[in-house]
Amino acid sequence: MIRWQTRQKVVKGALGGVTLLFLAYQWFPMLTMAVLSFTGPNGGTTFPMQDVSLHWYRELLRVQMVDDFKPPMLRSLLLALACSVTTAALSLAAAQAMRARFRGNGAFFYLILLGVMAPGLLVGFGVAVVARILGLPLAWYTTTFAVHIVWTLPFGFLTMLAAFNRFDRRLEEAALTLRANRWTTFWRITFPLVLPGVIGAGLFGFTLSYDEFARSFFSTGSEMTLPLVIFAQFDRQLQPTLYAIGTATTVISLTTVAVFAILFRLVRLRTRAAVSAETQ
Amino acid sequence: MNPRKRSLVSHVLALPSALWMLGALVIPTLFIVWVSFWTTRTFSLESPLGLLNYTKFFNRPTYVKLLADTVQQSLLLMAITVVLGYAIAYFVVMKVRQPALQLGLFLALVIPFWTSVLIRTIAWIPFLGVTGVINQALLFLRVVDEPVSVFLYSRTGITLAQVSFYTLLATGPVVYTLRNIPPSLPEAARSLKATPLRVFWRITVPLTLPGILIGQILVFLNVMADFATASAIGGNKHAFLGNIVILLYDSGQLPFASVIAVLLMLCMLGGVAALLKVVDIRRLGVP
Repeated sequence: MIRWQTRQKVVKGALGGVTLLFLAYQWFPMLTMAVLSFTGPNGGTTFPMQDVSLHWYRELLRVQMVDDFKPPMLRSLLLALACSVTTAALSLAAAQAMRARFRGNGAFFYLILLGVMAPGLLVGFGVAVVARILGLPLAWYTTTFAVHIVWTLPFGFLTMLAAFNRFDRRLEEAALTLRANRWTTFWRITFPLVLPGVIGAGLFGFTLSYDEFARSFFSTGSEMTLPLVIFAQFDRQLQPTLYAIGTATTVISLTTVAVFAILFRLVRLRTRAAVSAETQ
Repeated sequence: MNPRKRSLVSHVLALPSALWMLGALVIPTLFIVWVSFWTTRTFSLESPLGLLNYTKFFNRPTYVKLLADTVQQSLLLMAITVVLGYAIAYFVVMKVRQPALQLGLFLALVIPFWTSVLIRTIAWIPFLGVTGVINQALLFLRVVDEPVSVFLYSRTGITLAQVSFYTLLATGPVVYTLRNIPPSLPEAARSLKATPLRVFWRITVPLTLPGILIGQILVFLNVMADFATASAIGGNKHAFLGNIVILLYDSGQLPFASVIAVLLMLCMLGGVAALLKVVDIRRLGVP
């Protein structure tokens, strides 16, 4: 019996060691990048650091003709916002449609899930090919927007399906028996109850689009989004500015996730409180 | 509301998403397939369609080798992540008892997923170079006497980075299936004097097989389509099929780029079909 317990402990220790090593492996490059972004004006792209300064962040803010990260950053943020709203609206409608098990709902489900399976680079490539043959221009607010939604919609859709799964149909039925029409019932009962799901779908829309590189690669014209500009700059020369912009954009991504997570919790607590108050 | 009207409402609600997916994904993919059969570089309606580009691809050993390299890299990543991903999932779900610690580990694992893979790729560069962190550590530990250059611009470096990006894809679905195992099952087996190893292989692994499978499909698809890691860490020395699509597109060879895109998609479809065949998802969960 004692040997059995020691063996369990050894297994636990080994698995724990693997997990911790992997965490270090995953986090270390990102943290290193963040540390190196604070190197001095003469600092290079690796250790040892030359001084500690905000030089490379100031460099980002200074207006430049080339390597100006500010307009692409604005484009990426606007695109992410548009994707967030569109993903939330489309997934809400699509998941609500799925509840009625309409004819062809199976095919519809797989059609949307195709967006996760399809290789990002080639989705952008396809849109670029179509645009080239038809002589249409490429732009971040048209073609890139279209292919980003292909990527974000399945995530939002699955989130909404899960939200409707947890949803208590009797609340809708109660409203209908009280002679509320379908429209009122949806906006007064259904929508507030699945609102946390809508926020989740919006989060996927925002962050997946904001960081997207592969799908933007072919589909964006000359006005590039942030990941494309970062890649172009990286292709020319690796500078500490890239560490600074990389750290800054990571902070933006994680702040957005945190804001959405807080919003999600607040809304869920509020609806729970409202539902329990009503049913008592 | 009568059922017919209800069905109409559903169709109207589903229509925008369906049209979006058709217009931005399905139709462009059909265009790629069509272009891959062009026999001329530029498009005209009279130009005949044919297999010219496909024969050109298979007659060049360089391209066939690239295809093999891409598939090989995917298989390598699958082999690494299936073990590593499972070990992590098993530890977090089955071995960590404190909920707070479990949550902390989950967050530490998932947070990098919410950041840009491109930035994470760039973050690997200061590690891999001749003056990079790995070499400095190896020199410090006296494992090597002079810096080694096997990390940057190499398959090793690409693999190192890809493992850090994609292991989580293998972990996630396993976490989900592990949490769904009712504790009474392994307990029953143990009370019948099954050894822990036997419980693991006869109960835990079969019940988590769908999770393993979904994780492996995700890893396979992502590595097959990955071009950014190869181009950032591999420099110009290493390429996978995705990189060649870019190269050919930039040099204006649209039909040939399309051939490679089609072959890449066929490989991905074939791979997923093969994985689903290995494990029949529908029969899982039935004792």
